[in-house]
Amino acid sequence: MKKRLLLTSLLVLSLVISGCSLSGNKESDKIKIASVVTTEGQILAYMMKYMIEHYTEEEAEIINNLGSSTVVHQAMVNGDANMSAVRYTGTDLTGALQAEPIKDADEALAYVQKEFKDRFNQTFFDSYGFENTYAFMVTKETAEKYNLKTVGDLAAVAGELEAGVDTSWMNREGDGYKAFVETYGFDFSRTFPMQIGLVYDAVDTGELDVVLGYTTDGRIASYDLVVLEDNLNFFPPYDASPFADNELLEEKPEVKEAVERLVGEISTKTMQELNFKADNNLIEPAIVAEDFLKEHKYFSGGDE
Amino acid sequence: MQDMTQMSTTKQFFFYMQENGLYVFNQFFDHFLISIYGVLLAALVGIPLGILISKYGKLSSVVITLANIIQTIPALALMAILMLALGLGKTTVIVTVFFYSLLPIIKNTYVGITTINKSVTDAGRGMGMTKMQVLYMVELPLSLSVIITGIRIALVVAIGITAIGAFIGAGGLGDIIIRGTNATDGTAIILAGALPTALMAILSDIILGIIERRLDPVKRQQKKTIAAV
Amino acid sequence: MITFFTENSSDILLKTWEHFYISMIALALGVIIAVPIGILLSKSKYLSKIVLSITSVLQTVPSLALLAIMIPLFGVGKIPAVVALCIYSLLPILNNTFIGMRSVNGNTKGAGIAMGMTTMQSILLVELPLAIPVIMSGIRLSAVYVISWATLASYVGAGGLGDFIFNGLNLYQAELIIGGAIIVTLLALLADFLLSKLEKLVTPKGLRIEGGRAS
Repeated sequence: MKKRLLLTSLLVLSLVISGCSLSGNKESDKIKIASVVTTEGQILAYMMKYMIEHYTEEEAEIINNLGSSTVVHQAMVNGDANMSAVRYTGTDLTGALQAEPIKDADEALAYVQKEFKDRFNQTFFDSYGFENTYAFMVTKETAEKYNLKTVGDLAAVAGELEAGVDTSWMNREGDGYKAFVETYGFDFSRTFPMQIGLVYDAVDTGELDVVLGYTTDGRIASYDLVVLEDNLNFFPPYDASPFADNELLEEKPEVKEAVERLVGEISTKTMQELNFKADNNLIEPAIVAEDFLKEHKYFSGGDE
Repeated sequence: MQDMTQMSTTKQFFFYMQENGLYVFNQFFDHFLISIYGVLLAALVGIPLGILISKYGKLSSVVITLANIIQTIPALALMAILMLALGLGKTTVIVTVFFYSLLPIIKNTYVGITTINKSVTDAGRGMGMTKMQVLYMVELPLSLSVIITGIRIALVVAIGITAIGAFIGAGGLGDIIIRGTNATDGTAIILAGALPTALMAILSDIILGIIERRLDPVKRQQKKTIAAV
Repeated sequence: MITFFTENSSDILLKTWEHFYISMIALALGVIIAVPIGILLSKSKYLSKIVLSITSVLQTVPSLALLAIMIPLFGVGKIPAVVALCIYSLLPILNNTFIGMRSVNGNTKGAGIAMGMTTMQSILLVELPLAIPVIMSGIRLSAVYVISWATLASYVGAGGLGDFIFNGLNLYQAELIIGGAIIVTLLALLADFLLSKLEKLVTPKGLRIEGGRAS
C-alpha cells in the first residue's frame, strides 16, 4: 500500500514538474520568427535567431514550414509572429501590398519600406545583399558555345534551344511566359513546364539547353551554371531583407541592432553556397546558419 | 567536400546524424515536450471528469459520445481549424493534443473505477470511510493501472499529432520529415526525422506499458500469492 | 463559405471519391491480409505473441513518419498512401480476428468436430461465423481510423480531401480549410455510423446482448 502511494505521488509530481518547465517557455512577448518552407528561408530564420540570442538576452522561436509568403504575411498580421526571416520586394509588392510590380530595385525597396511602415507598422529592413529571382541559366559550355552573357543574347539561337521552366511560371501574369515572349521578342524551339526542383539537373545533364531557375539555388554553384543577365529588366526585383514588427523593435531595440548586422552581408553567391550546404550536403539549415555566423564572428567586427 | 549524392542512403543517414545530431536532439526534446504537455493537460481535466461520470451514470454516455466524436475528426482537420482560431505555433498543437487525449483518459478512468468490485468499495464504506476517502484510498489506486493505459494510448497518439504540428509551424521532428520530403534526394533526411519519431512513440508505449503492469493490482496480488506459497 | 461548396463542387466530388477510394483499397487489403493471418494465429499461441507485438509496434509509429518512409520505397502518389494506410488497418482487424476466433466456445467447436468436420470446415462453418461480430468491430475501427488518416495522404500526392486542407494552409484560405475539414469529418462519422449498423446486422441474433453490439 505504501509503495503504491509513493509511486502515485511520484507520478503526479513528475507530471506537475514537467508542466511547470513548459509553462516557463510560454511568455507571450517572446520573439517569433516566421519562415517559409524553403531552405533559404530556414537558413535565414536560424541566422536571425542566433544573432538575436547572441547579442541580446532574448530567446527566439521559429514558426517554421509556412506554406507561402501569404501565410507569413498573415502570421505577422495576426500576431502569430513578430519577425519574418526573409521577405522579397517583388513578392510583397504584388502579394501583401497588392500593388503593381516595380522594375527598379531601389524604387521597389523604397516603396515596400514606406508602405509596410504606414499600413502595418512593420519594418522592411534594407537588403541582406542578395535577390532571389527567376533567371535563365545555361551550362558553362553552352554559354561559351553561343557566347551568351545576357538573355538578349539568346535571341539569335533560341530557335535551336529547348527550355525548361517552373510549371507555375507558364501561367503567371505580368512576369510569366507570355509576357516574356512579348518583351524579348523570341521564343525557344520547345518550352517544357516542370517541377522547379528538377530544372537544375535537367540543364546540367544536357537534357535541356536552357532553364529558368531561382538565382540563389545552391546547384548553380555546384553545377557551375551561368546565369544570364536580364538585360531588358523583364523580371521585377526580388531583393531579400529581414523583416520585423515595429512594436517589437521599439520595445527591444537590441533586437533591431542584432538583425541590422546582417544587412548587406549575404551576397547572392554566399546564399547559393549556404543553400548548397543544406540542400546537397545534408546539413540542417540551423547548423549551416550557426557555422556561417561563427565563421564571421557574428558580424561583430567594426560598425559599418 | 565529397559528393553527397554518390553516397548510399545508409552512409548519408549516418553522415546526417553526425553533422546534425544536436539539432535532431533539440527537435526530439521539443517534440516530446509538446506531446506530454498536451497529455498532461488532458489528464488534469480528463481524470476528474472520468471520476465524475463514473459516479453520475447519466452523464457518462453524453461525455463519452462527445469525446468519441472528437476522436473521429481527422487530426489534420481539427488542427487546421484550431489554427484559424488560435494561430500558428506550439500552443495550438498542444491544444489539439489535449482534445485527442481526452477520450482515452476519460474512458479509461471511467472504466477503471466502474469495474472495481463493489464489495471492495463497500468494505471501505463499511470501515467508516467517507466517499472521498474511498475515492483516494480504494478506487483510484485500484484503477491506476487502467488510467495509465489511457495515458499511454494518449501519449502515442500525441506524438503522432505533434508530428503533423510541423505543418503549422510548431517545430519538432516533423520539421525534419518535411525537409526530407521536399529535398530532391532526401531519403536519408526523411529517415532522420521519421525514425526518431517512431522510436519516441514505441519507447513511450513500452515504458508506460511496464509501469502499467507494475501497477496492476490483480497481477501484483497474483504475484504475492505465488510468492507466499 | 457556401460559395466554397458551390464553386468547388466538382473538385469536392472528385476528392471525396479519391479519399474514399484510397481508404477502401487500403482497408480491403488490410482485411484480406489480416483475417487469414488472424485465423492462423488463433491456432498458435506462440506465433500470435510475435505477430501481434510486431503489428502493435507498427501501429504505434506516427502516421506522418510511416507515410514519409513510404516515399523512398514507393515514390509519390496513391501507392505509398495505400500501403501505409493498409499497414495501419492491420492491427485492429488482426487483433479482433484473433480474439474472435479464440473466444468461440470450445464446446461448439467440439460439436463440430464430433460431427466429422475437418479443421477447414470447422473454421469456415463454425468458428468464423461466430467470430464475425468481433471481426466486424475491428474492421469498423480500422475503417474510421483509415479514413481519418487518409487526410494526410494528400501530402504524398495521393489526393483526397486532405488537398483542401493543405492548400488552405499554404495559401492561408480559411474556407478551404473549413470546407475540407467539414467534409472529411462527415465522411468519417458517416462511415462509423454505417459500419456500426453493419456490425449489428452481422451479429447472429443469438449473440446479441441487450439489443446492443456483441463487443
